[in-house]
Amino acid sequence: MDLASINFLQIFFNGLITGSIYFLAALGLSLTYSLLNFPNISHAEFLAFGAYAAYMSLKLIENNFFLSIIIAFISTGFLGIFSYLIVFKPLSKKGSKPMHLTIASLGYGLFLRYSMYQFFGREALTYKLWFEAFNIGPIRVTSLWILIILTSLILVFLLHLFLKKTLIGKAMRALSNNQILAMVCGIDKEKILLLVWFIGAGLAGIGGVFRAGDTRITPILGWDLMIPIFSIIILGGIKNLYAIIASAYIIGLIENFSIILLTIFNLSTEYKVIIAFIILIIILILKPYGLFTKAGNKSD
Amino acid sequence: MLYKKGNILKIIAIALIFFILGILIGYYAILQQTTYVSFKKVGEIKIGVMLPLSGELGPIGSRMLKGALLAAKIINDTGGINGNYIKIIAEDTLALPEKAIEAAKKLIEIEGVKVIIGPATSTEVLAISKYVNDREVVLISMSATAEKISELGDDYVFRVVASDVMQTQAIASIIEEMKYKKIVTFVVANDYGIGLEEGLKKLLGGKIALSIRYDPAKGDYRTELMQVSSINPDAIFYALWVESGIIVFKQALDMGLENIPTLGSEGMADVAFFKDEKAAEYILKTGLTGSKPSSPKGTLGYNIFYEEYKKYFKEEPGLYCEYTYDATMLAALSIAKASAYNGYEIKKALESTSKYYIGATGHKAFDKNGDIILAEYDIWKVSKSIDGEYFFNIIGSWNTVQGLLMKKE
Repeated sequence: MDLASINFLQIFFNGLITGSIYFLAALGLSLTYSLLNFPNISHAEFLAFGAYAAYMSLKLIENNFFLSIIIAFISTGFLGIFSYLIVFKPLSKKGSKPMHLTIASLGYGLFLRYSMYQFFGREALTYKLWFEAFNIGPIRVTSLWILIILTSLILVFLLHLFLKKTLIGKAMRALSNNQILAMVCGIDKEKILLLVWFIGAGLAGIGGVFRAGDTRITPILGWDLMIPIFSIIILGGIKNLYAIIASAYIIGLIENFSIILLTIFNLSTEYKVIIAFIILIIILILKPYGLFTKAGNKSD
Repeated sequence: MLYKKGNILKIIAIALIFFILGILIGYYAILQQTTYVSFKKVGEIKIGVMLPLSGELGPIGSRMLKGALLAAKIINDTGGINGNYIKIIAEDTLALPEKAIEAAKKLIEIEGVKVIIGPATSTEVLAISKYVNDREVVLISMSATAEKISELGDDYVFRVVASDVMQTQAIASIIEEMKYKKIVTFVVANDYGIGLEEGLKKLLGGKIALSIRYDPAKGDYRTELMQVSSINPDAIFYALWVESGIIVFKQALDMGLENIPTLGSEGMADVAFFKDEKAAEYILKTGLTGSKPSSPKGTLGYNIFYEEYKKYFKEEPGLYCEYTYDATMLAALSIAKASAYNGYEIKKALESTSKYYIGATGHKAFDKNGDIILAEYDIWKVSKSIDGEYFFNIIGSWNTVQGLLMKKE
């Protein structure tokens, strides 16, 4: 195909949409990862849970998309706290290693996923909403896509303020840097952990609503995103909010640009993951601790 | 004297011979029993059905199952096969090859079925064909259309739907008729989609300006669709799966592709696509036109199916319902003819029964590859009725003998 005819601005914009959803999904995972030292696989199901929560809110309470996003945030946040209290806290109290917790989270995720199948049925659902499409210069957009990008940017800003300016935010950062030192200083680890689970899961809930609005609602909605989410976390390193943001958008952009490359060679767009991973491997060879972590200050 | 040493030896020798003979006869009888179960003893005859009851093709698959249930009901209501009732055992395959293998194993090893109706997709059929061949289990797919399946040769795999070799010819003749010069193909990246894409390329050559093979698990297709719009083709040919297909259509409208006419394969002739408002709007605006294996309406075979279906399920039959029905009917008739629940016998019976079977979807005679000989397609176009219902308006037909015949307006 003719390279000159490709609308690069549009691809860039598409990359921003993809990246925004990835960022919302990956951030929560990296928050709990950095404090509890295990990747919570059931995080994928938090996304789907958020999507269904919004669906129920649209159906039962009011046909208001903003309200449904807030409800998804809160209810998925509580699901996060609940999950921590009934699964991960008892396990870590009994001295489970990160490996045990990871496997437990995988099983717990399957439990959540099939509960959703049971409850909402096997057929995919869609929000009964109409998002207007229009042109901004050479770029085609819809109100939903703009909402996705704006919400992510606003949340980035709010999180930045929260982590840098508030006492609780500072305590969170302290805990993630050095747990023992932080606890010696009188930080209540349990309270902070509950808050981290709430925020992390809540953000995943919002990500789930956006992904569902963009595609469809199904219990495997989050599972489809797990590979990019993990590559973002590896690329960004788990302890750096800004690195997670940057790598989410990097992966989003790489994916969208690689589609052009793949169709030129008449290959399936399934291979976009391979391109993303090749780039990931190259970056890791050059920067083994993630793109934004200095070698002396490596995260574990 | 009876108790002479030589006599004892003789008695022992004779006893030994009878003993060995007895074991052989007993063994032979057991062998007979496991492979040739007499019908009078079984009470029910199992027919396995493999369909995507959830996931990507769930919306279509769950309605196809009703075709099989209807065939079983009709046979059972009229006394079954020699008084044995047909029992349909349905397994969900999610249209995934790995799940199809699991489902086939379960049906064959645990349920002990000798006939399987399905699976629905070509990828699944190709994944399990060796497994069923090795175990001599007859497979009758209702909707697997990929060309590759014919290449499996003389085996236990049959299908009541024509190969895509035929369908690509039908679609190519629509493209000729409409005088489209520049086409983009947008297909699902599996045996089905790629088969159609390559078939069309063979027939149309240079008219295909761009081919996109999309990943059904990806969930956003903006960049793919943007490429389509930058080519600005005369028409887009879609061969999509349902759930990802809805997303493609929805985002195609978002990307402003509503002015490019669309063509589609048979898989798109299903109401499931209208579930999403935007997808429905896109389909209608672009006048989605396509082919689908025809069920000759008005024939006695189809009318029986249609009336019974409406009576029993109180809804219109969906895509491939009548094909699932015919596959199940053929299976039951072949079991009856074989008069033994044995894969090899059923296969032999199926080959001869099919020659004389004219069902809801027409004459189902198989060739040596297990493909049907006669291929006929309806040409449909999506329309909206006055009361807001979407439907597939039949605007013409295509068959192997006469080619494309468009209805006069």
